[in-house]
Amino acid sequence: MQIMSLFPEWILSHGAASIVIIPLLLAVITAVNSSARLAWATVLGVTALCAFTALGLLLQVMSFGPIHYNMGGWAPPMGIGYYIDGLNAPLLLLISVVAFLCTLYALPSVVAEVEPKKHGPFYAAFLISLAGLLGMVATADAFNVFVFLEVSSISTYVLVAMGASRDRRALSSSFNYLIMGSIGATFFVIGIGFLYMQTGTLNMMDMARLLQEIGPGDRVVQLAFAFIAIGLGLKLAMFPLHMWLPGAYAYAPSFFTAFLAATATKAALYLLLRFTFTVFDPNWDYIAIAVMILLAGMGILGMVAASLQAIFQNDIRRVLAYSSVAQVGYMLLGVGMATTLGLTAGYLHMINHAIMKGALFLAVGAFWYRFGITQVSDMRGLGKTMPWTMAGFTIAGISLIGVPGTVGFVSKLILVEAAAENGWWWAIGVIVATSVLAIIYVGRMIEQAYFKPVPQINDRPVRRNEAPLAMLIPLWVLALASLAFGIQTEWLMNLAEAAAQVLSAGSNTVIPGGAYALPAPIGGH
Amino acid sequence: MTDKQKSDQQNSRKQGSGKQNPVLSPLEIVERAEAHPAAVPFLWLGSKKTQRNFIYIPLVGMIVFSILGFFYPVSKPAPWDFGFSYTVIGFVGYSFVVLSAWPLFRLLSRPENYYGEDDSVEEGEDA
Amino acid sequence: MLELFASFSPAFILIAAGVLAGFIPTSKSGSFISKVLMVGAPALALVCINVIYYGQTENTYLGGQLSFAGIELTTLRIDSLSIIWGYIFCFAGILNGIYGLHEKCKITDTSALIYTGAGVGAVFAGDLITLFMFWELLALSSVFIVWRGGPKSYPAGMRYLAMHILSGVLLLAGLVIYGRATGSYAFNNIGLDMPGGWLIFLAFGIKAGFPLLHNWIQDSYPRSSVTGTVILSVFTTKLAIYALARGFAGTEILIYIGAVMTVFPVFFAVLENDLRKVLSYSLNNQLGFMVVGIGIGSQLALNGVAAHMVSHILYKSLLFMSMGAVLHRVGTIKASELGGLFRSMPYTAVFCMIGAAAISAVPLFAGFVSKAMIITAVFENGHLVVYAMLLFASAGVLEHSGIKVPYFAFFAHDSGKRVKEAPWNMLTAMGITAFLCIYLAIPGTYGGMQYLYGLLPSEVAGAAKYNPYTDYHVIFQMQLIMAAVFAFALLKRIGFYPPERRAEILDFDWTYRRLGLSLLQWGNAMWSRLGAVIIYALRGMFGNISRRLYQVFSPAGALSYAAPSGIAAVLIAGMLAVTLFVVYFL
Repeated sequence: MQIMSLFPEWILSHGAASIVIIPLLLAVITAVNSSARLAWATVLGVTALCAFTALGLLLQVMSFGPIHYNMGGWAPPMGIGYYIDGLNAPLLLLISVVAFLCTLYALPSVVAEVEPKKHGPFYAAFLISLAGLLGMVATADAFNVFVFLEVSSISTYVLVAMGASRDRRALSSSFNYLIMGSIGATFFVIGIGFLYMQTGTLNMMDMARLLQEIGPGDRVVQLAFAFIAIGLGLKLAMFPLHMWLPGAYAYAPSFFTAFLAATATKAALYLLLRFTFTVFDPNWDYIAIAVMILLAGMGILGMVAASLQAIFQNDIRRVLAYSSVAQVGYMLLGVGMATTLGLTAGYLHMINHAIMKGALFLAVGAFWYRFGITQVSDMRGLGKTMPWTMAGFTIAGISLIGVPGTVGFVSKLILVEAAAENGWWWAIGVIVATSVLAIIYVGRMIEQAYFKPVPQINDRPVRRNEAPLAMLIPLWVLALASLAFGIQTEWLMNLAEAAAQVLSAGSNTVIPGGAYALPAPIGGH
Repeated sequence: MTDKQKSDQQNSRKQGSGKQNPVLSPLEIVERAEAHPAAVPFLWLGSKKTQRNFIYIPLVGMIVFSILGFFYPVSKPAPWDFGFSYTVIGFVGYSFVVLSAWPLFRLLSRPENYYGEDDSVEEGEDA
Repeated sequence: MLELFASFSPAFILIAAGVLAGFIPTSKSGSFISKVLMVGAPALALVCINVIYYGQTENTYLGGQLSFAGIELTTLRIDSLSIIWGYIFCFAGILNGIYGLHEKCKITDTSALIYTGAGVGAVFAGDLITLFMFWELLALSSVFIVWRGGPKSYPAGMRYLAMHILSGVLLLAGLVIYGRATGSYAFNNIGLDMPGGWLIFLAFGIKAGFPLLHNWIQDSYPRSSVTGTVILSVFTTKLAIYALARGFAGTEILIYIGAVMTVFPVFFAVLENDLRKVLSYSLNNQLGFMVVGIGIGSQLALNGVAAHMVSHILYKSLLFMSMGAVLHRVGTIKASELGGLFRSMPYTAVFCMIGAAAISAVPLFAGFVSKAMIITAVFENGHLVVYAMLLFASAGVLEHSGIKVPYFAFFAHDSGKRVKEAPWNMLTAMGITAFLCIYLAIPGTYGGMQYLYGLLPSEVAGAAKYNPYTDYHVIFQMQLIMAAVFAFALLKRIGFYPPERRAEILDFDWTYRRLGLSLLQWGNAMWSRLGAVIIYALRGMFGNISRRLYQVFSPAGALSYAAPSGIAAVLIAGMLAVTLFVVYFL
C-alpha cells in the first residue's frame, strides 16, 4: 500500500487511542489559554490532526481489516479495548472532518456570538465534546461508551447554553436538553448495568459472545435491550423523543449547531446499530420485531410528522432542526428493514445527511452573522445580497430534497430500492410524499431568497454583503461534497456497503476470543 | 392628395383587369391607405360581396369531387362507403360540431373571471 | 469535444448553451451572443447527432454507458425510431430561436435551450433512469417559460408543474417496480402486463394529454408569452408520444384512448374564444391521432405516427407562431376582438392559412401525407368504429384549426385594428416552416416527401410502398374538405354559426380548480375548528399530568418555557413501555 507510507508509524499503531486522547488533553490547555486566537489555532490543529488520524485509520481498516487496540496494553475483557472496523472508521473521519471545517468557520462566528472572555473555555468545551463523540464511536467497552456519551453530552449542554449571549432562550433549551439527555444517558447506563449483571463483562465483543450462550429467552437481557434502545433513541432524536433537538439547534452558537447537527445524532445512531446488530443478535425474534416496529415504524412516523412540522416553522434553524428529525426517520427506516441494502441506505443517508445539514447550518450561521437573520421571512433577497452563501445553501437544500445529481438523491434512491426489495410499497409512497414536503419547506426559503425583492433600508436596497471567506470555504467544501458524492457515488457507496456488511454479519460471526470476521476490504474495488 | 393619386392608379389597374368598379368610396380610400402594401391588391377579399359569394366555391368543388368519386371509387371501401360518402361525412360531421356549440355553450360557459384568475387582461409586447 | 458529447448525449450541448446563456450579461453584445446560442446550439446538436449516427455502421448506436449507484445507464441510444424525433426537435429548436430573435429575455433563452436539450436527451435515453432525469428537467425548465406569460400565468404554471411532477413521480415509482421485477432498466417495449407498467403508462399519459389528464395543456400553453407558447407546443407532448411508441406500441387500449382524444377537443375548440386555446385543444386532438397509431402498432401505423409527429410539429408551430405574431402586434388573441387583419398582416395571414391547410390535410400539404398513413392503418386493422371517429375528427379539425383560426383572426368582420406586419424574424421563421409544410408533401424527385418517408422508423414494409397520392384518396379527401367548407359557408350565411363570445369554458379542470379547491377550503375550515377543539380537549387531559411531572423535574420557579421537558419525560416513559411490550409480548 503506497498511500499508507504517508502516515507516520504512530498513527498506524496508536491512532485509535490518540484520536480520542489528544483532544481531551489539549482541552485542558485550551481552557486556561487567555488568547482567543491561540485557543482557536490549537483547536484547528487538533481537529486537523484528528482528521488526519481518522483518514489513516480508515485506510488501514480498508486495506488490513479491523484494528484492535488495547488501552495501556491491558487486554480485554480486563482492560479497555478500542476497536475500529468498517462501521465506525468512516464515522470517525466524518466527525473529525466536520469538526475541522466547523473550527475554520468558528473564527469569525465565535467572535460575534460568544463573550470575549469565555472564548478559551468555549473552545475547550468544544474539544471535550469532540473527544467524547470520537471516544464513544471508537471504544469497544460498553461502560466506556457511557462515559464518553456523558463527556460529550455535558460539554454540549454547556456549549448550547453559551448561545445565551445571542438569544436568552438558549438557557432554557440547554436546560431542556440537559434533562432529557440525562434521562437518555441514565436509561443507557441502566441497560448496560443489566447486561453486566447477566454477562459479567463490559467488553462488547465479549458481551456478544456471552449473550449468544445465554440465548434469546432471557428477560433481563430483553429489559436491557429496551433501556438501551430508548436511551440511544433519545440521543439520536428518534421521533417522538426528539423534543430536545429543535431548541438546542435553534439557540446554540451557529458553528456548534452545524457541528451538532452533522455529528451528534450520527454517533448515537452508530451506537444503536452497534448494539442492536452486533452485541445483540438481530436474528432473535424480539430484536427483529423491535427493529421493524420501533425503528422503521417510528422512522416513518417521524418522517411525516417532523416534515409537516418543519413546514410550519418560522425560524430557519427550527425548520432545519425538524427536517433533521425527519431525516433521522429515513435512516431509521433503512435500518429498520434490517436487510443489507436497507442498512446500506440508512448508513449512507447518515453520512450524506451530515454533509448537507452541516452546509445548511453553516450558511444559516452566515446569514445571522451578516444580517442577523433568523426568520424565514427575513431571507428576502438573500440571493442578491449574499449570492455565494445562498448558492451554497441552495445546493445543500436541493440535496436535502433529493434532486438527482446530489447526495440526497443517491441515498433516497437506494432507500427506495431497499423498500422495493422488501416489498414495502407503502414506505416508498411515504418517502415520495415526504420528499414533496421537503420541496415545500426548502422551496419556501429558496423562494424568499431568489424571488422576493431585496429589502429596503432608507429607501435604498440593502447592499451586497458576502460572508467572510473563513465561513464560505467550509460551507462550499460541504456543498461541493454533496454534489461531488452525488455524481461520483461509488466511494461512499463502498463505505456504506462495508458498514452494512459488518452489521449484517452480526454477532453470529463472533469468534470466541473476541475477533470479528473481517469486513470485505473496500480499497480493493 | 397622394391618397387620391394612389387610388387613381389602382382604379386604372382595376379597370384594366376588366372589372366595372370605377369609383372608390371614401371608406375604401381610407382602407387602401391604411393597409399593408402587399395586401392592397387583395382588399376585395374583405368586401361584403366576396363574403356573400364565397359559398359558391366550395359548393362547386363539392359537387365536382362528389361526381369524380363515382369514377374513382375507394379501393378498399368501408361498409358505408359510396361515391360521395366523404362529402356526407364532411358536411354532417362539420355541421354537428358547429351546431352542438349552441347547447354546449349554454351548459359550459361561465363569466371570464370564474376561477378568480382574470384572463381578460392581455399583455402583448407592443400593446 | 464531439467525443465527449457523443459519449453522453448531444443534449448536453443544448443544456450547456442554456446554462451559458444564463450567465451572459444583458448588454447589447451579450444578447447578441445569447441569440447566436439560441440558433446555433440546436444546429450544432443536429450536426452532432448526424455525425454520431452516420459515423458508424450499426443500426442502433449505443453510447454514454456509465454506472450510477450500481445501475447501468445508457444515456445515448440513437436508432431508427429516436433519430427522427431528435432531428425534428433540434430543427424546431432552430426555428424557435429565429422566431424569438426580437425578444430580449434571459429567462426564456436559458430555459428554452435547457428545455430543448431535455427533450432531445429524453428522446435519446436508452434507459428509464436517464429518461426520468430528462423527464423532470423538461418539466422544471419549461415551467419558467409558462411563467413568462406574466402574473396571470403564475397559477397556471403552478398547476402545470404539479401535473408534471406527478407524472415524474409516477414514472419513478413505475420504473423502480419495473426494474426490480425484470432486473433491467433498459427502455424498450414495456407493456401494461409488466409490474409497474400501468404507472409508467399513466406517467406518459399525463404528458401526452390523455382525456381527463389533458387540462394542463389548455391551461398553461395559452397563458405563456408570445414566443413561449411556440416553444412549449413542440417538445413535451411529442416526447410523450415517443415514449409511448417506444414503450407501449401495440397496446390496444391506446386505440380507444386516442380515438376519444381526437373527438372531445373538437367540441371545446369550437366553444373557445381564445385562439391560442383553440390551438391547444387542436394540439390535443392531433395527439389523439398519434396515440391511435401507437395503439395499432403495425409498421405502417408507427411510420404514420413518426411522420405525423414531424408534420404536426411543423404546422402546429406555424399556427402558434402566426397567432403569436397577432398577439405581439394587436395585444389580444380573443376571436371576438379580432378580424380583418389580412389588411395589415398579409404575410402572416398567408402563413397561417398554409398551416391551416396542412393541419386540415389538404393534398399537397404536410398533414395529408402523414395522417392518411395512420387512418389507413386503423382501417386495415379492422377497427371500423375508431376509423369512423377519426373521420369525424378530421372534419372537426377543419372547423377549429382549418377555418376558425384563420377566419376569425384575418377575415370575418373588420375589427378596425390596423397594426404593423410581424417583425422580420418572425416572418422568416414562419416562412421556413410554411415552406417545409408544403415541401415535405410534394411527391416525386424534386419534392420533399421522399426525405420525410426516408426517415421513418421501418423502411421495409410500409413507408417505401405507401403512396398517399392515389386518385381516390385525393378526391375523397377533397370531398371531405369541400363539404366542410361549404357547411361553414352555409351555416354562416343562414346565421346558425355561433358568434364568438368571451367566456370561461368549463372543462375537466373544473374538478380541481373549483370542486377540489372548494372541498379543500371547506376541509381546511373544518379542520381548523376541529383542531381547536381537539387541542382544547387534550390540554385539559394532559394538563394535570404534565403539570405534576413538571413540578418534579424542574426546580421551583424555573422558566415556564421548560414545560416541554415534563411532557418529554412522559413520552420517554411511554416509549419504554411500548418497547418493553414489543420485546416481551410480540
